Amino acid sequence: MKNSDLRLDRLLRAAAAVPNEQPPEVPFGFDTRVLAHLRASPTYDSLDIARLLRRVVLTSLAVVVIAGAGAYRELSQPLDLGEPFTDEDVIADSAIGLAFEQ
Amino acid sequence: MDDDWDAGALLTAVRQHDEAAARELVRRLYPLVAKLVRSHRPRRTAEEDLCQMIFVKIFQKLPQFSGKVPLPHWVSRIAVNTCINQIKAEKVRPEFRHADLSEEEVAVVENLAATSEELAPDHKFAARDLVEHLLAALKPVERFVIDMLYFQQYTVTEIQRLTGWSASLVKVRAFRARQKMKQELARLSAEGLR
Repeated sequence: MKNSDLRLDRLLRAAAAVPNEQPPEVPFGFDTRVLAHLRASPTYDSLDIARLLRRVVLTSLAVVVIAGAGAYRELSQPLDLGEPFTDEDVIADSAIGLAFEQ
Repeated sequence: MDDDWDAGALLTAVRQHDEAAARELVRRLYPLVAKLVRSHRPRRTAEEDLCQMIFVKIFQKLPQFSGKVPLPHWVSRIAVNTCINQIKAEKVRPEFRHADLSEEEVAVVENLAATSEELAPDHKFAARDLVEHLLAALKPVERFVIDMLYFQQYTVTEIQRLTGWSASLVKVRAFRARQKMKQELARLSAEGLR
């Protein structure tokens, strides 16, 4: 061990020989001050409400993300053009054709 | 603090906004909190103010207390973190010069440099004051580790439990703190020789 380490250890040992102070009694009116401060600050109920709001926001965000992912998946699928035209399509097509001919 | 009291019943009552139970909880926990505050109080904050700040935090966080760890451990962690944050907020770490030392502190510095014997018992208060000056130059977390290890006689495991740091982090911080204290001590000693 180096000299500087030994020196510091001797110093710390001597300093630690000073007895620590006894734990003090609660100062007069301390508990009242703490409770008064607590009532004046956002505590108990408001914290519960804040926690509830946070949960609601997180749940809503999760729903939005899931819905967004579903919509994106739906839109990114290729249109199925292989289906035969129905009667309605044929009627609409001929009506448009006639309108242009006139 | 005696361990006989029923913390669970008291906490249940406090959660139901029982004011008498809240006062009783303050009375039970005050010695523990005050002891930690005395060890780690920033210079410019009054002990009672800091205790009050800690108790307000304890009550505010009480709904989050799960009971997985004993209540005194949980309270200690809040107290320690509040003290460290308060010390960080002060920021100022003045450099201490040899000329600022008292006669007794100068004698301690000279004694440490001249001999390898233990310091005399009548030097212990000067030694403590000198250590306080050296600690003031450290970061709050380093100051905390030295105080816990050497003055409160906590083990590394106990400091881990109090702070949530890993064992290696505690050791690294203690090592760095000791390095800085050795350098400061050497500087003060060299200044005295000039």
